[in-house]
Amino acid sequence: MESKKLASFFEEDLCIFGLRSKKKISVLQEMVRHLASVGRISDERFIMEMLKNRESLGSTGLGMGVAFPHGRSLAIKDLTVLFARSANGVEFESQDGEPTNIFFLILAPSDRGADTYLALLSELIGIIQKPKKLESLLAVKDHASLIKILGGEES
Amino acid sequence: MREEFRLLVALQDLDIMIKEVKDQHTSHELKSMGFKLTGLKELQDARDHLAEKIPAALLNRYDKLAARFTVAILPVTSNKCLGCFVKLPTSFFSSAYSHELLTCESCGRLLYIP
Ligand SMILES: [Zn+2]
Repeated sequence: MESKKLASFFEEDLCIFGLRSKKKISVLQEMVRHLASVGRISDERFIMEMLKNRESLGSTGLGMGVAFPHGRSLAIKDLTVLFARSANGVEFESQDGEPTNIFFLILAPSDRGADTYLALLSELIGIIQKPKKLESLLAVKDHASLIKILGGEES
Repeated sequence: MREEFRLLVALQDLDIMIKEVKDQHTSHELKSMGFKLTGLKELQDARDHLAEKIPAALLNRYDKLAARFTVAILPVTSNKCLGCFVKLPTSFFSSAYSHELLTCESCGRLLYIP
């Protein structure tokens, strides 16, 4: 993993605390549109196409209310993470069949190896496997609290 | 951006994903994190479907480059080919060329002006 600390990937403008979408494709679209609106991606169509292809490989909804849509594209310049939360949950074809409440959308540039995002993904999965952390994440409502949870401090 | 360039870039993103699934290290890592990678056939079908829309000569050029480089097509950035970091000649940027798909004379990658 890059020396950059996990919590520092989660910038305030890269968080959505009130997702509106309720379905798989529309929630991906909502997140990608957000990234485009804050100038993180050069072309949302490429990112959407890539993410839809990634889902056809197998849902990135791992269950327990969490999904990790991810992939590499020419349309992203730097490793970027968007955090998004839906209070009511999204139908995301998750492995346990339950609605998904939180999303970590991870995008990596195509000219870098898969290891660029694998380390980040692995670190995030380590966090959600801790029941207390997961519980806090599922309920998180603001950026400061999110950083606290990801920074490893007691929450 | 011309439709052909767009199709090639989408194809490249898809090829990178297919390479990741076929790469033992990457697919093992993803599976050990709990991801199910059962839809390789769907990706390959999507690849075939996309490739059909690209003129054969162009696809052929891309395929040869993609066998050598992870990134075979890319936009010109800061007057450079970011594949090999060579500065491109000013003749590249005359308006006559702005809608064409260009070739980096140094590394052969396909370039377009975004
Ligand atoms: Zn070059």
